[in-house]
Amino acid sequence: MIEVEGSLKRRLGGWLVVTVGVLGLALMVEAWVSSQRAAARAFDAQLQAAALTIAEAVRWQDGIPQVVVPAAALQILATDSQARVFYAVLDDDGRTLSRNWPVDIPVAWQQALDEGGMSRDLTTTLGELRLHAQRVASAGWVTQLPVQVWVGHTLEGRRALARSLFERSLSRFIAMVLLTGVLMGLTMRAALSPLRRLRRQIRGRGADDFSPLAARVPKELHELAQALDHLFARQRQGREDLLRFTADASHQLKTPLAGLKTVSELGLRSSDPDEWRQALTRVHARAEDTSRLAGQLLSLARLRHLDRETALPALDLGELVRDVALDWAARERAAEHDLGLGSLPAEPLKVCVEGWALREALGNLIDNALRYTPTGCEITLHLSREGDWARLSIVDDGPGVADAALATLGQPFQRGGRQDTEGSGLGLAIVDTTARRMGARVQFANRSPQGLEVVLWLPLAKDEQDVTGAFAAGVNPGEST
Amino acid sequence: MSLPPGQRLRSCGRLPARCATQVTRRQPLVVSPCLPLLLLMLLLLGGCHSGDSRTPTDEDPLVISAALDLDVVAPLLDAFRQAYPQIPLRFEDRTTREVDDSVVGHLAGGGVEGEGTSRAPDVVISSAMPWQMARVNEGLARRLNGPEIERWPEWARWRDEVFAFTFEPVVMAYRLDLSRHMLPPQTHGDLHALLATQARWLTGKVTTYSPLSSGVGYTLAQQDARYSSRFWELVGAMGRVDTRLETTTRAMLEGLSQGRYWLGYNLLGSYAMVYAQEHPEVIVQVPRDYSLVLMRMAFVHRDAPHVEAAETFVRFLLSQRGQRVLAGQTPLFSVLPGVTGPYTAARLRTQVGERLYPILPNATLLAFVDPARREAFTDHWRARFQGEQALDEAVERGSGALAPE
Repeated sequence: MIEVEGSLKRRLGGWLVVTVGVLGLALMVEAWVSSQRAAARAFDAQLQAAALTIAEAVRWQDGIPQVVVPAAALQILATDSQARVFYAVLDDDGRTLSRNWPVDIPVAWQQALDEGGMSRDLTTTLGELRLHAQRVASAGWVTQLPVQVWVGHTLEGRRALARSLFERSLSRFIAMVLLTGVLMGLTMRAALSPLRRLRRQIRGRGADDFSPLAARVPKELHELAQALDHLFARQRQGREDLLRFTADASHQLKTPLAGLKTVSELGLRSSDPDEWRQALTRVHARAEDTSRLAGQLLSLARLRHLDRETALPALDLGELVRDVALDWAARERAAEHDLGLGSLPAEPLKVCVEGWALREALGNLIDNALRYTPTGCEITLHLSREGDWARLSIVDDGPGVADAALATLGQPFQRGGRQDTEGSGLGLAIVDTTARRMGARVQFANRSPQGLEVVLWLPLAKDEQDVTGAFAAGVNPGEST
Repeated sequence: MSLPPGQRLRSCGRLPARCATQVTRRQPLVVSPCLPLLLLMLLLLGGCHSGDSRTPTDEDPLVISAALDLDVVAPLLDAFRQAYPQIPLRFEDRTTREVDDSVVGHLAGGGVEGEGTSRAPDVVISSAMPWQMARVNEGLARRLNGPEIERWPEWARWRDEVFAFTFEPVVMAYRLDLSRHMLPPQTHGDLHALLATQARWLTGKVTTYSPLSSGVGYTLAQQDARYSSRFWELVGAMGRVDTRLETTTRAMLEGLSQGRYWLGYNLLGSYAMVYAQEHPEVIVQVPRDYSLVLMRMAFVHRDAPHVEAAETFVRFLLSQRGQRVLAGQTPLFSVLPGVTGPYTAARLRTQVGERLYPILPNATLLAFVDPARREAFTDHWRARFQGEQALDEAVERGSGALAPE
């Protein structure tokens, strides 16, 4: 079940908004403060210039200060923003020498003023004033009374300048954010395009197309593409297995049905009730065999869908091999061959497999050996233990198989490259499939000077442990020999 | 609303106009969601509202306190009356000093409530530019806004509170008799030379604006002294020919016309040009070296009783329409670009050239009203006029007598 949890675009957009918001707030505060400061600096400099200009115009006549306010100083004071201007020239005792506007300057400020100058904010009936004061004393022949020059202006200019500076930073910032947003959108489009390509490719595939992906993906998507490829491979394998199984099953059922048909035809042709009875008995036996086979196939089919976790009872391999060998040795078909048991281990070898499946596989192998070797050949079953694996081999001294055909022996209808037998060519394929179900491996090898050895590697049950672990065999047994 | 004006005044008191605007502004914000309540409030407040914002009536008209001759400005006033017949206005033609007094008269606290002297004028117009600037700097003007204000040239307004709306060249004028005896002066230099060489003819026959008792005369003298270092020589020469000091251009023109004067210096060109058209014996000469240009300034008084009407008047004054009247029917010269007529600043510039030096409304004018500076300047002027030389250079320089270094 696919749950849609948020959207990548929205998530990225959200992060962008949060980042830009926090960063933007900090930047805006900084821009506001610095624009205020810059405006204040610029305008305070004008105040100082005006104060200096007025101070320059102060003259002492007989020690008494006189001032003629220069027109330029007032223009400097007013600035381009046409601020209201204020000036006052006082002596140290607070007497007014010249002033244009009855603004009361706090006495404390007047007393605190020294040569270093002073800048203050003052609220008047006409709004806020920015004041700057300078104390002027001139060296002279007679004792001279120092004077204080106070200048001030209203704040429109500062505010306008600060505002325009701030607006400029603001517009720059907004442009930056918009650009970032657009770039982010484009980047995301570009970044998500491989995903879109992949989606299109997967959507466009046929229902039975399990071929590997052929797509160019960035590194980040490589694992996803690989996982998809593995999925396809497994599906392909499963499908092939299914097809093979169906073919095997049909084949297995076809042969006994043909036998039934022959026996019943023979019986019908005769009018002797004894022969009828004999035919019926054979038909019955055959039908029993066939139904057992059908049952086995059904079980095999069910096995494919069985939960792999299902625990299976461990069974003794040696006993099973002996049983099968005895069973086959007693059969009419084995009469012309020398079917025997080779070495068997002393202690029991426990494996966790379906008994009937192993019997079937073993039977198929023996049947195969009987079918493809000339009469009189020796067929021997060996069983031994090698590490965690049981090695079950069927060895014959027949003609063997061409080396080139060895690799394809496990596939249906191969017959080891021979067309001279009555075999269906499915025996070894069924063995292979069954073995794979059991977690076993099948190996074919020619013997010298002649003969074929088929080895069935079966994982041993781990006595004290979870027996299902045996199915998850990690090591390829073929490589361990 | 049916109350007589006097009673209305008492009921609302002498609240400044601000009160009225606050009431009218806040009201819709508070009660706008509920219309019936709004209407009720309007009905209740209606009396006070109309009484305080004071729509001008015949008994209580819009008052324009102006240093501007009524017969010069009459076409403009007629045009205003035509455009706004519902606004009765009273134009009080005064001297510049009277105008300045009227601006602050109501603040002194003297006078009885409701009397003409104690109330502020609505609109103030004066050619005494430094004093107008000083009053505006003190916050006695209302800031205006609107399309007319925005279209007004930047250089002719200050803080959007005061507007220089005329462009009046300062000229010399002489009587035809003069040209029979000597070459009429065309520059300041010519004038100086004439005063020096033709003292026999000119003694007692020269007139100029008094810088001592006229605001305009003082402003022009200050400005002359700023532009030309030889102005003081001219002052001395004028003193030697016993130049008569007048306080109005009209008085000088009449003197010329009657033959009392032969030569006038620093007359307002606006009046002189009109006068010369009707009096052929008076010749107007725009100085060819440099000519000052005076700009009359108007503002709406902060405490104007009829705020809306006053703003309407100033907007009309600055509008295309008002300026067309100004340029076409008054000799005040319009500075608004795009206005056509015989009297525009642009046209004057093409006729006279680039030697026009307008006195611009800016903070430098504030220095002229500084009492210490004024005293120093008038002392110096008087001394020069009376022939004294012994004054130190610093005072001349400081008071603007010498050109800046």
